[in-house]
Amino acid sequence: MNNLARFNLAKQVKLYITKGIQDVLRLNSKLKIGMLILLVISALAILEPVINQAILGPISPITPGIFKPLLKPSREHLLGTDLLGRDLLALSLHGLKYSFLIGIVAGFLSSFIGIVIGFISGYKGGIYDSILRTITDFMIIIPTWPILAILATYIKFMRIEGLAMILAIFTWPLSARIIRGQVLSLKERPYVDLAKVTNLSDFEIIFLELMPNILPYIGVGIGNSVIGAVLAETGLEVIGLGPGNIVTLGTLLNWALGFGAVIMGNWNILIAPVLFLISIFLSFNLVNVGLDEIYNPRLKKVTGE
Amino acid sequence: MKRRSLVTWLLTRIGWYILTLWSAVTVAFITFRLVPGNPIGAYVTQLMQQGKYEINPVEAEKLINEYKKTFGLEGDLLTQYICYFKEVIFHHNLGVSFISFPTPVQVLIIRALPWTIALLSETTVFSWLLGNIIGIIVGWKRGTKVDSVVTSLALVFSQIPYYIVAVVLILLFVYITGTLPPRGAYSSTLYPEFSLTFFLDVAYHAVLPSLSLILVGLCGWLISMRSLAVSILGEDYLLFAQAKGLKEHRILSRYLFRNALLPQITGLAIALGSIVNGAYLVEYVFNYPGMGYLFVTALGRLDYNTIQGCVMLTIFTVLTAILLIDITYPLLDPRIRYGGE
Amino acid sequence: MEKVKLLEVKNLKVYYNSIWGDYKSVDDVSFIAYEGEVLSIAGESGCGKSTLVDGILGLIKPPGYIPSGEVIFEGKDLLKLSSEELRKIRWTKIAYVPQGAMNSLNPVIKIEEQMIDSILDHTNISREEARKLAISRLKEVGLPVEVAEMYPHELSGGMKQRVIIATAIALKPKLVIADEPTTALDVVAQKGILQLLRSLKEDYGITVIVVSHDFAVHAQIADRIAIMYAGKIVEVGPIYDVFKNPLHPYTKGLISSIPVIGKSYIKGIPGLAPSPLNWPSGCRFHPRCPFASEKCRNVEPILKEFNSERYVACHLSR
Repeated sequence: MNNLARFNLAKQVKLYITKGIQDVLRLNSKLKIGMLILLVISALAILEPVINQAILGPISPITPGIFKPLLKPSREHLLGTDLLGRDLLALSLHGLKYSFLIGIVAGFLSSFIGIVIGFISGYKGGIYDSILRTITDFMIIIPTWPILAILATYIKFMRIEGLAMILAIFTWPLSARIIRGQVLSLKERPYVDLAKVTNLSDFEIIFLELMPNILPYIGVGIGNSVIGAVLAETGLEVIGLGPGNIVTLGTLLNWALGFGAVIMGNWNILIAPVLFLISIFLSFNLVNVGLDEIYNPRLKKVTGE
Repeated sequence: MKRRSLVTWLLTRIGWYILTLWSAVTVAFITFRLVPGNPIGAYVTQLMQQGKYEINPVEAEKLINEYKKTFGLEGDLLTQYICYFKEVIFHHNLGVSFISFPTPVQVLIIRALPWTIALLSETTVFSWLLGNIIGIIVGWKRGTKVDSVVTSLALVFSQIPYYIVAVVLILLFVYITGTLPPRGAYSSTLYPEFSLTFFLDVAYHAVLPSLSLILVGLCGWLISMRSLAVSILGEDYLLFAQAKGLKEHRILSRYLFRNALLPQITGLAIALGSIVNGAYLVEYVFNYPGMGYLFVTALGRLDYNTIQGCVMLTIFTVLTAILLIDITYPLLDPRIRYGGE
Repeated sequence: MEKVKLLEVKNLKVYYNSIWGDYKSVDDVSFIAYEGEVLSIAGESGCGKSTLVDGILGLIKPPGYIPSGEVIFEGKDLLKLSSEELRKIRWTKIAYVPQGAMNSLNPVIKIEEQMIDSILDHTNISREEARKLAISRLKEVGLPVEVAEMYPHELSGGMKQRVIIATAIALKPKLVIADEPTTALDVVAQKGILQLLRSLKEDYGITVIVVSHDFAVHAQIADRIAIMYAGKIVEVGPIYDVFKNPLHPYTKGLISSIPVIGKSYIKGIPGLAPSPLNWPSGCRFHPRCPFASEKCRNVEPILKEFNSERYVACHLSR
């Protein structure tokens, strides 16, 4: 049995490496653009300390009163400064870093919960499935954002991990549903029956037979969760309910709205947070759509594979 | 025989509805009570900090108890729970609000609801119709230039949160062109009445909020309609319809649109059911006096009863909408029969 | 008895564009279907049979495309017709019984409505007359009248297949192309459907092209058979002659792999079917052919006349 498992594993790994390389070589254009934007955003988020060091030196970008307030964009301040005399470019990069970080941590956490629950629900079936599916559907049906907002209202100060955790608790059901559906359909395939007949353990079946086929959907699930988490977090911040100690893109929008930047037409205050947010949402979505187009079973059917 | 199974199915479905409704409101209720921090304490502290009242700690304690009584926070969790729902069910009373004390929450909700319903039913229906029509067309013409341009644009727009579009629209129309009003539901010089002037003023104020909701909503419906259409185009029965040499309009309307529309109808019903939510952030950005604005204001002031009332109402309408869809769906789709297999 | 050409396929190619390269599903196929015969197209799954049918009917969708070839029906090249001209020929002249009849009926519309749709779009008769015609066709294929008022999910697989055949003969076309008409049906239903298809030729004089991987189907129904392998036709001939005396090594392999009562073992063809992404050089069957020579590896054989009725594409056949 062990030999068969090892053989299968080697086969799978080889298949996935070759297939992966082929995919990367002939990427779908949506996936390509999405990955490119994602790469730029991640680079900006990761390099934020370096860039801000270059712009501001050792001062934190959120310290008020460093420069004159409300400067127009210029050579020194590419986007100008805000009401409290902070450099808007540095501030926006700072916000981007935290929005992105929270989104990624919450997204992965939420997909992890979703994957575990989706797998148990789809693979085990029976009573496990009934219970987990009821909970999942329930979470999808009830309006979770208000409840999230209420929680956030009372928890004024929290660490990024805590915030990500709370966001994850409210965003996992969608990926659980996707994964469950996939596991259910894959479970019926002949090769899984074959694996069962050859006495592979559940663990081996899940990791050798099911997991590789579900990988693209896990990717899609993570993308959706990240989008959901960033959306929820920004929403909270915009109405001023986010944790006060973390400055994200949503916080910047809240400040801009509170100051009346929109009405007074201070586009320079808004432009970077708005563009960064759109880029985050767009990049993950493009990657998702691209993955879907590549792994869509209908496309495979057409090419006769 | 058939009639009996239909009745059994209906009863089960309604029983399930009541059970879900009960658990949802209970979960929501408990969430409110479990959140750390004591809202009344916070409120009293706030009052004291504002220096409105000079109160010593003993009197503060008394005041807190007094408030607890007014706001239905007396006794243990179970007592509060029973008390709250007794009031809600038998007296349609959602308790007293903080934000405009001592107005009861239901009065605030009834005041806000018409604005939200007017704004959101109009935008939801508009964006649904437009999105579906454009979606089916680009789905049918998939792979063409038009499709790729429209779909890419829609993909971008559907990913932008409503309030960001709102902000951009305000920048464009208010700051740059100065043509449209940026906030409120009607001019402050007017008073709500049934007159053409007032109605036109309301419509004028609704242009920007509607536009931001429709732009994003439409793109969402468009994307989902297109992907439904594309997946149905791959179905055997569509290929067969083409092999039969049917006329294009017939294939489009009877074979493609009819099948693609079914899931979208569910989506529309859920969207209409969630209308009472209000569009939190858009209403906030535009100071539009609807449910979303009420909810956000209540959140900002930690208005326990109002928040609770809004959430309970939302849960109720969303679940009721889903129940209604389930009951009407078999009329639309012959494959689904009451009582299932 | 003079044979009249009804359909002539000349050097047809159908490729699918994919991110891994072109799938050459149908690669240079030529054959003729005569009036009033049942022609079978046989081959393993994945050899391009269904794609060939889609190509003939003009149902190829992106990413599929037709790089070259002609499909001549009653003197006109179907591939050169405008979509409206093609639409008019469909169903009045050429009808199609698709693979996967299970899902070929619109799930949300009544059976009679679906039949009426196809009648109304090709004739000038009234809706009421169309309904009468649809119901009489349902009776002709052996279905009860009540079926007209039903939805597809209320019917069994065999009944759905009959509905589709009834729809196909609604306007008495000259040619019916049936793609795997018996897959997914039980044995009894299969027999009924085959008899029905055979009766199309005998009772109405309709030419029938049947595509199947199942030799039992061809043996029961066909007049002539064309064997397809790896996107090409390798052998054509009257069914009896081909079964009795197969010329191509692949046909030989196929026929010896048909289970026969009394024989204790079945001889299969060694090796795997090649991928349409990368066909073998020379004769596409050479990696699996026990008689392959150096020439087979390098030179592609063409379909040549063996005698007045039989054609084969093999270097070894004399």
